[in-house]
Amino acid sequence: MKKILLPFLIYLAFISESSLVQAFLPQDASMDWQIIPRFSMVMILFIAMYLNTTYGLLYGLGFGLLTDLLYTDIIGVYLFSMAATAYITSVFSRYLFGNLIVTIFLSIIGVSILEFFVYGLNSLIGISNQSIDLFLYKRLLPTLILNGLFAILIYYPYVKYLNRIKETIKEN
Amino acid sequence: MPHFFSNKRLIILLVSIIILVALIGFSMKKRENLTLPEQFLKDSAGLAQTIFYKPANTIAGFFENLSEMKQLYKENQLLKARLDEYAKLYVQYEAVKKTNDTLKAQLDKEEDLNDYKVREATVIGRSPDQWNKFIYINKGEKDGIKPNMAVISPQGFIGKITNVSLFQSTVQLISDNDRTNRFSAIVQGEQNIFGTIEGYDPKRQALMFKKIKVDAKIKKGQKVITSGLGDVFPPNLLIGEVIDTEPDEVGLTQTAYLKPSANLYDLDHVMVLEREMPGVDESLKEKEEE
Repeated sequence: MKKILLPFLIYLAFISESSLVQAFLPQDASMDWQIIPRFSMVMILFIAMYLNTTYGLLYGLGFGLLTDLLYTDIIGVYLFSMAATAYITSVFSRYLFGNLIVTIFLSIIGVSILEFFVYGLNSLIGISNQSIDLFLYKRLLPTLILNGLFAILIYYPYVKYLNRIKETIKEN
Repeated sequence: MPHFFSNKRLIILLVSIIILVALIGFSMKKRENLTLPEQFLKDSAGLAQTIFYKPANTIAGFFENLSEMKQLYKENQLLKARLDEYAKLYVQYEAVKKTNDTLKAQLDKEEDLNDYKVREATVIGRSPDQWNKFIYINKGEKDGIKPNMAVISPQGFIGKITNVSLFQSTVQLISDNDRTNRFSAIVQGEQNIFGTIEGYDPKRQALMFKKIKVDAKIKKGQKVITSGLGDVFPPNLLIGEVIDTEPDEVGLTQTAYLKPSANLYDLDHVMVLEREMPGVDESLKEKEEE
């Protein structure tokens, strides 16, 4: 029963990304910070860190596909990037002790890996024509700050919830 | 990290990269219609977005109002001054419209390429990664919206409908860098200068207006409008104004940079236009049938 709520929560975060960008983040062309909410990715990274690699991979694949279908024109970019990011992060987390600082650090690393993957693939296809310095200053930095804040905000309730799920998995 | 690249994992990685390339290749070709599961996903997400969007927009609107209040007085003064000008223009417009109507009546010409049907729509979401410049509107197939219709905001042309599901549809903004996102446009002036809008330059923050003849003389501040020659969009929709020109890399054509007239970042309500004149293809088909 507890497990059913998890995909629903991530779906909510996933939908809110689009509404947030539309309602709050619209910028004037003159102030061209690009702040991208990656809330669903952060939540999947927590799963990869606190549950296990398989769950992280599956959620990454699922929500990657959903992102591709709903928010982009091309299938495959997010499918690959989100699953790979979840996998890499869960491998890292095996070597680091899970507390607040490490978790925030790893989610920031994860989001930047995702951003780099997506930037690279999109440049390859020709969808993005932003230069690397613009990408680093105007996009990556503010994005990491926003998602780091989000990770801090959800840390205590979400990790508590994940630990409870972990117990039910162990019992079965 | 000894376990990171064991043989089995390396093979899985390679296979997944091959699948990735295949998927991208498959989805890059132009698809007109969505498959049923895609439509279902889009509709359900659209529904959730509509629920989310209203409270989010109210809060965002509150902050916006606060910052706008400071400028209200100044703006009011300016608008009052403009009002007299408007009255004068309106009288002129009426007169011109009347002559136009009588002339058209003399020619027995009822339908015009310029005629279009307008549908209002609300923006419920936006593609969160800002590589893809899509917005989502709350009107879909059941409201009669079809792919390739032009979408405008009150300030000007913003893009076209790319795909439609039952209750919502996706608008590709004019600033999207997709290969298939091309618009035929003209620079307004004594002589019309033709070219195509091909994406957005993030460094200059301007639309790229390419394939203009190299000897065409374009001044800063000239207006650029849709040409209507592609038989898809209505003509005379304002796109933007020229801020800079520059010869192409090879020197055979030149590129103009346009400041879009509509603010592409701040869109709430948009209008979808449907051309009323039947397209060339349909009229040809009818002739063949005869």
